[in-house]
Amino acid sequence: MSLIVLNGITKIFNRGRPDEFTALSDVSLEIEPRGLAVFKGPSGSGKTTLLSIVGCMAKPSAGRVLVKGREVTSLPDRFLTDIRRHTFGFIFQQLHLVRGISALENVILPAYPSGERLASLRERGVRLLDLLGLSHRADTNVEWLSGGEAQRVAIARALINEPAIVIADEPTAHLDTKLSLDFMAAMERLKAEGKTILFASHDPLVYESAMVDRVLEMRDGRIVAERRAS
Amino acid sequence: MNWIDKQRNIVDFALSSLLRRWRKNLALLCVYTFVVFIVASVVFFAEALKREATLVLEGAPDVVVQRLIAGRHDLISRGHMEKLERITGVSDVKGRLWAYYFEPSVGANYTLVVTEEAAGRPGTVAIGAGVSRTLQAGQGDLIAFRGHDGAYVSLEVARVFPSSSELVSADLVEISEEDFRALFGLPEGIYTDLTLRVRNPKETVVVADKIRRLLPDTRPILREEVLRTYEALFDWRGGIVLAIFAGAALAFIIFAWDKATSLTLEERREIGILKAVGWETSEVIVMKSWEGIVISLTAFLLGLVLAYVHVFFTSGTLFEPVLKGWAVLYPRFQPVPFIDPYQVATLFFLTVVPYTVATVIPSWGAATIDPDTIMRQ
Repeated sequence: MSLIVLNGITKIFNRGRPDEFTALSDVSLEIEPRGLAVFKGPSGSGKTTLLSIVGCMAKPSAGRVLVKGREVTSLPDRFLTDIRRHTFGFIFQQLHLVRGISALENVILPAYPSGERLASLRERGVRLLDLLGLSHRADTNVEWLSGGEAQRVAIARALINEPAIVIADEPTAHLDTKLSLDFMAAMERLKAEGKTILFASHDPLVYESAMVDRVLEMRDGRIVAERRAS
Repeated sequence: MNWIDKQRNIVDFALSSLLRRWRKNLALLCVYTFVVFIVASVVFFAEALKREATLVLEGAPDVVVQRLIAGRHDLISRGHMEKLERITGVSDVKGRLWAYYFEPSVGANYTLVVTEEAAGRPGTVAIGAGVSRTLQAGQGDLIAFRGHDGAYVSLEVARVFPSSSELVSADLVEISEEDFRALFGLPEGIYTDLTLRVRNPKETVVVADKIRRLLPDTRPILREEVLRTYEALFDWRGGIVLAIFAGAALAFIIFAWDKATSLTLEERREIGILKAVGWETSEVIVMKSWEGIVISLTAFLLGLVLAYVHVFFTSGTLFEPVLKGWAVLYPRFQPVPFIDPYQVATLFFLTVVPYTVATVIPSWGAATIDPDTIMRQ
């Protein structure tokens, strides 16, 4: 069974206003579990919007989204948040770490409202940072971390709720080649663990990587081409 | 338990969030605490004074009868006393002797009172702590009073009243009847005013009415009326202090409103991140409410404790001149610690609740943004 099914998804921003803009136009797609798919395309092609809708962050203007067979398009925000929290982990282009608190606190931030005891949360957070080779920086405030370290904190944060799917938007946009390769190596480990990984990227280092199972090319809000790894 | 742990986690983040902006929050806390301190001090102080007055007046006579001539208080004769004794329900009619005495050397007014305690010791006086301070006179010292004929009479200080009664005894000089009459040239059978008891307290008003009809040149003053006057007086004085600090309070309200209702860019960004990583709108609002509660409750409790110490341990040093008196002889007294839960609750609802609500509204606005907004930044 497909993990995610998109059926005729259209997303229109500022509908009815002079600046109305169609970001996605009748996109249908199925995403299987345990694979790495990359959405590539130029800026404004709809990659980020598509990932937002897949990740239950935004609702489509038309069409239906099914996550693990459950129709989520018509769900109220509260339920959508719950699905997002337990199914998806996000790595943002700008990382969006909260300044002034430690790396560890940033990692466990998505799990605060879960009601899990703080001590146990911290333990899991440290374990994740350890896996990413960053446990020695757990108590360091994020503004003191290097770009690569901050990236790894963002990855750990995406994993704290043990999501089945990891979504990353332009994850290598601000990284040099070495850090980009480190990032891809980390993703490879996650893929090996059975996670489904979705990227939006126009970095060849990402979409030409051998570990990528599927590349979907987007342009003007549509999927115009698709390539699967042989 | 899960719910409690969830709240604990959210409070933990709220506290860390407050600490991250400690400069702004510390400034807010200081001003907030100051305003609560002022308001609570006034409330505690006025209440303590009223209680003190009530306690003092508990032993006062039910009715005081004063004679009026041309609208002014005049001396009253024994003849009036005999008429009062004939009124049904009236008992224990007594003549009182008291007077004001101005001491030019220190520019202070004393109240000279004849009491039963002083009857047995002519040639001596008992003085209030205020008199003792201004004249620098203690037990065994002689005090000279200028009589009605210009001659000086020296009386020995037999004792100084304890400071616990200073609110009412600061300017008091207790003197024997013989010395009083000699000093002011007052013949026998003449009194300053008369006091009486009414056997049935419910009949006090009826008795007062009878007195007015029987002795049209007098005015009866009821104890309850005096009590009401005291209460009104201290409430009014409390109001004056509050009016003086109204400017500070207004500045605080504007400051707090500004800080509470407007979110900085950083705060908005943080709320966006929380939403994007999976916090619900309601959880963000709860977190921001905790921030507001922590600030306002801390300020409230700090202000309350400081006000308590100020009023009950330092005798309300800041408000002394306005609240306690207007004479040279300011009483120094230690109000008995007392807190009215109703007043504390009122203060709580006037300070903590509005601030907390004010912090939640803008956060609610910011928390309703779509979580994907952060994806586009």
